[in-house]
Amino acid sequence: MVKETRMHLSLNKRRKLRPYKDSTGDKIFYFVNGFVLFLLTLIVVYPLYFIIIASISDPDAIFNGDVYFFPIKITFEGYARLFNEPLIWTGYRNTIIYTVFGTAFNLLLTLPAGWALSRKNLPFRKLITWFFVITMFFGGGLIPYYLLVAKLGLVDNPLSMIVLGGVSVWNVFVCKSYFQANIPEELLEASHMDGCGEFRSFWHVVIPLSKPIIAVMVLFYAVGHWNSYFDALVFLSTEEYYPLQLVLKDILITAEVISNTGGSAETIIEQAKIANQIKYSSIIVSSIPIIILYPLVQKFFNKGFLIGSFK
Amino acid sequence: MPLTHAIKPAPETKFVKISFKKNFRKNWRLLLFVLPALIYVLIFAYLPMYGIVIAFQDFTPVDDILGPNANWIGFGNFLRFFNEFRFWRLLTNTFLLSLFGFLVGFPIPIIVALMLNSLKNQKIAKKLQTIFYAPHFISVVVLVGMLYLFFGEYGLINNIARSINLEAYSYFLQAEAFRPLFIFSGNWQDFGWSAIIYLAALSGVDPHLHEAAIVEGASRVRRIFAIDIPAIIPTISIILILSIGNLMSVGYEKAFLMQTGANIVTSEIIATYVYKIGFLGTGEYGYATAIGLFNSIINVILLVIANVSARKFSGNSIW
Amino acid sequence: MHKNNIIIALTLSAIILSSCQGSNSTSEIDIDSLGYQWTDTSAPIIATKDAISFDVLSPKNALADNYDDMKVFNDLNDSTNVKISWRNLSESAYAAQKTLIMSDRNNYPDAIYHAGFSDKEIIQYSSRKVIIPLDEYFDKMPNLSAILEKRPDVRRMLTAPDGHIYTLPKVEEMGLMPYPNLLFVNKSWIADLITANLISFLTINDLNDGLNLTLEQFRTILSLFKTEDMNKNGKNDEIPLSFVYQNWQGNYSDLYATFGIPENINHLTVLDGNITFTATDSKWREATNYFYEWVRDGLIDREIFSQTQDFFLAKGKATDQRLGAFYWWESETVVKNPEDYIVLNPLIGLQGQQYIGVSNNQEMTRGEFVVFSKAAHPEILLTYMDRYYDPIISAQINYGPIGIVFEEELDEHGKLVQKPLPQGMTADELRLKNAPLGCFYLSYEEWENVINMEPRARLRLERLDDHAIPFVYPGASPIPNITYTMTEINALSTIELNLNSYVYEQQTQWLLNGGPSESQFNTFKNTLNNIGLQEALAIYQAAYNRYIAEFE
Repeated sequence: MVKETRMHLSLNKRRKLRPYKDSTGDKIFYFVNGFVLFLLTLIVVYPLYFIIIASISDPDAIFNGDVYFFPIKITFEGYARLFNEPLIWTGYRNTIIYTVFGTAFNLLLTLPAGWALSRKNLPFRKLITWFFVITMFFGGGLIPYYLLVAKLGLVDNPLSMIVLGGVSVWNVFVCKSYFQANIPEELLEASHMDGCGEFRSFWHVVIPLSKPIIAVMVLFYAVGHWNSYFDALVFLSTEEYYPLQLVLKDILITAEVISNTGGSAETIIEQAKIANQIKYSSIIVSSIPIIILYPLVQKFFNKGFLIGSFK
Repeated sequence: MPLTHAIKPAPETKFVKISFKKNFRKNWRLLLFVLPALIYVLIFAYLPMYGIVIAFQDFTPVDDILGPNANWIGFGNFLRFFNEFRFWRLLTNTFLLSLFGFLVGFPIPIIVALMLNSLKNQKIAKKLQTIFYAPHFISVVVLVGMLYLFFGEYGLINNIARSINLEAYSYFLQAEAFRPLFIFSGNWQDFGWSAIIYLAALSGVDPHLHEAAIVEGASRVRRIFAIDIPAIIPTISIILILSIGNLMSVGYEKAFLMQTGANIVTSEIIATYVYKIGFLGTGEYGYATAIGLFNSIINVILLVIANVSARKFSGNSIW
Repeated sequence: MHKNNIIIALTLSAIILSSCQGSNSTSEIDIDSLGYQWTDTSAPIIATKDAISFDVLSPKNALADNYDDMKVFNDLNDSTNVKISWRNLSESAYAAQKTLIMSDRNNYPDAIYHAGFSDKEIIQYSSRKVIIPLDEYFDKMPNLSAILEKRPDVRRMLTAPDGHIYTLPKVEEMGLMPYPNLLFVNKSWIADLITANLISFLTINDLNDGLNLTLEQFRTILSLFKTEDMNKNGKNDEIPLSFVYQNWQGNYSDLYATFGIPENINHLTVLDGNITFTATDSKWREATNYFYEWVRDGLIDREIFSQTQDFFLAKGKATDQRLGAFYWWESETVVKNPEDYIVLNPLIGLQGQQYIGVSNNQEMTRGEFVVFSKAAHPEILLTYMDRYYDPIISAQINYGPIGIVFEEELDEHGKLVQKPLPQGMTADELRLKNAPLGCFYLSYEEWENVINMEPRARLRLERLDDHAIPFVYPGASPIPNITYTMTEINALSTIELNLNSYVYEQQTQWLLNGGPSESQFNTFKNTLNNIGLQEALAIYQAAYNRYIAEFE
């Protein structure tokens, strides 16, 4: 029975065909396994769920600890107040700009570099690889980096949010892996024989075959830009340039009274009340693009060959 | 291909070895692909290294790095750091935070990957995997914001505690709560994402191996140890080495957001201290750079040690 | 080739272009054409409005309007014709960015207002010629020169070790600064406790300002506040005692003073002419151990360790009153029902002593305003700044403009008088919204002749006279704003930072977790000495002795 070829059968089908029953030991194992995974799922899901229901609940109810599984006294006041805060809008606008242009810049630098490194015939290949690798483990440190950025005139300059972090060496190597695994030399040779130079080959042959890796790079870099706050904290002093995360930091963490940029005089207590209400809604609103991007990402990740590219 | 090949420079091609000059003349255009990234890294990663010299100067924010007024003080900054009352505490905090983070955070993704892989219903496994890596995309600001909302003085956890007549606990004021909070939130966020690599390796396991094992009466648990784990050992080694090399550069952005006046005795790590010395107060750039340099050097030493040991013990290494 | 080259070129040029700054608008102006005058302090400084403008960076309070919109500054612009382009940022952003602002040499403003430069920074930047000496322009500043003539102590305070003056002063003499705390308690809650027979040592008639309570009596009251649902809303959400831990005002010091030490947030005070450090005293240790119990039992609000001043002030204004007692200068800013609160005399300690310490908050400070060397025509800017030292303008800078905060008409004594508060705003909020604060001169003379003190300031003075000043620890006085030599400043700057952080950390740990034991305290004292405590004390003493010699 065992010797029947089952090579092409999926796991599920195979299960149906398997005539063996699980031993008791196995039964226990599967039960525990499933249970633990179930708990893990709860641990991951509940906080996120809580944020959602809290964002539409009455703030006093939240404060009293009445909100557990269901929203209480549904109100969209939190969102209304959030959208009244002009910094949220500028933050959103800025972050979108930084993310779109920043990611484009990233791709422009990273993809070709990964491609070149994946080709065995790249001159100085070993040297270049080491050149990149060293920077992963040793650097000048925070201060010299910031001095350099200042010298380049990028302080308090929105361009800095696009240009800084332009190349992630890690990502370059992920691209390299992908190209090495998926674009064989033979394909290249065929393209050369057809008269395409390096650049045309790259553009017409490699890129079309690289949709998954481009998608992954877009994901990595875009999320990186979207979520970054520290560079903005250090380099930007004009509020107009603040990205969303920096505005969020003031709302969620330093719990600063948000400075009045026009609008009626809010007393301290009003400000504190607003601050509390908008914490939850601000989390949701700032995460919306991620939430939208997420299903798209899943699609690529669940396609086995992308996972293979990680190898 | 196993992960080692991702980083290790490839050996010479198995084709006919062509001379370097010939290769260059033929393939110089390829260099242009990598040139932008090279220039970028040169400017933003290597140029700052040159700025390390200020670690040996008494440098203020308005000074020039190699200006004529450069105030050289040799190892003065380093000596000052070693004599600080907080020197050992900073080292310990940084090291312990990374070490515990590593001890807890390293096995969990492996275990979860093994568990997911062992699920009979792989469709559900895929869905769970997706759920598990969702938190990875949350920004650090939102994550810490959530921590305050849940664990703050009047956060969800304390409100629940009060309502069932338990003492509320100040997670953000008690110094000993900092590390657990930091580490477990980090794990909550990243275990799913880190598990992906292991799941990828596991999916490459030949089903025949499992078949054969079942026939021989191996239990599921036995099969994990006999088949699954060996399949991911190479991956584990590389990740292990990389983690050890990064032991001293634990996420300062998050620590910075989680610091309060009350937990500073455990939450002040080298990187956050460097930030404070350099950017707050009078901006002692030279001193801050010296501390940062010290940190980097320790990292490199750890990395070398890790790599050498790994090569001796398992044959896998980064170089 | 083409594509990559283009990309490289574009990126590099983008970087280079963004680093090219526009040229300074003031440098191209020919000063003779402006009609610059400085002698008449009520006439315009230049002939044409906005013919010259200065770029001034300034952090501002969160509640303040943008300085470009403030009436005070617009009025000044009208009267002087000098335009100031204000670059505002929040106080916390400024604190985080100050060093970067200083290292961004292409982008310096002409000046920084609310600069908050420490002595070390003043020496550091003046010696590198980044900021300019201002005393060279005093001949163009009639108001300030007159002040410095009659106040040699202000001049002394401003002068840097090299003999020059690099910053402008802020002087506010009301006699309030050394006494930053008053203890308020909710009398209607205590009355409820008395009626319910839970307290026997007080009667209703005792509940007036100036009530004397011992530590243990107060402790009993606080415990009852915690458990008896005083605001009758069904929840035990009462906060027995709150304040702002180590803030310059409304801080913890008076609690420690009950143990017989003249405590303040620097742990430094003058005691019979000697600079004394309080945190190494055994009584300090006792106090810490004792108040740990209050923190542990929830009598002291745990949020004191994390809340900002603003959040503390929001606490007493919720729909249900939760604050039982608090430290602050006045009750009106803290609670929405101040009529329910009385002022207590300092608490009586376990050995019967009833003292408070004095704080080192200064009535005159330096470091408020600096001018960069890149500024063109700094004399015009400084003549403009000189206007701030006119008494009427000083009052407006500090409190808000005539018309909004002050009445247009002077009162019967010829002094400025405050308008009544608008509905729903506290005096604090009105002031912060409309007044930039910063550089001004309001000495005792001005309060006599030019301006009426705000009603709440007068109330504060009365309360301090009755309930604080009589109880000052005998022999204790604040450390004046002494000046140091260059070597002293360099030695002190690192030591002070470390001393402050270390004591703060340890004190916070002990208050939260208990301690210190004898051995912990010995380690504490040893570490303090290693950090340089004795050295610092010697420097303070020497500088203090010099100061006394000069002005006594």
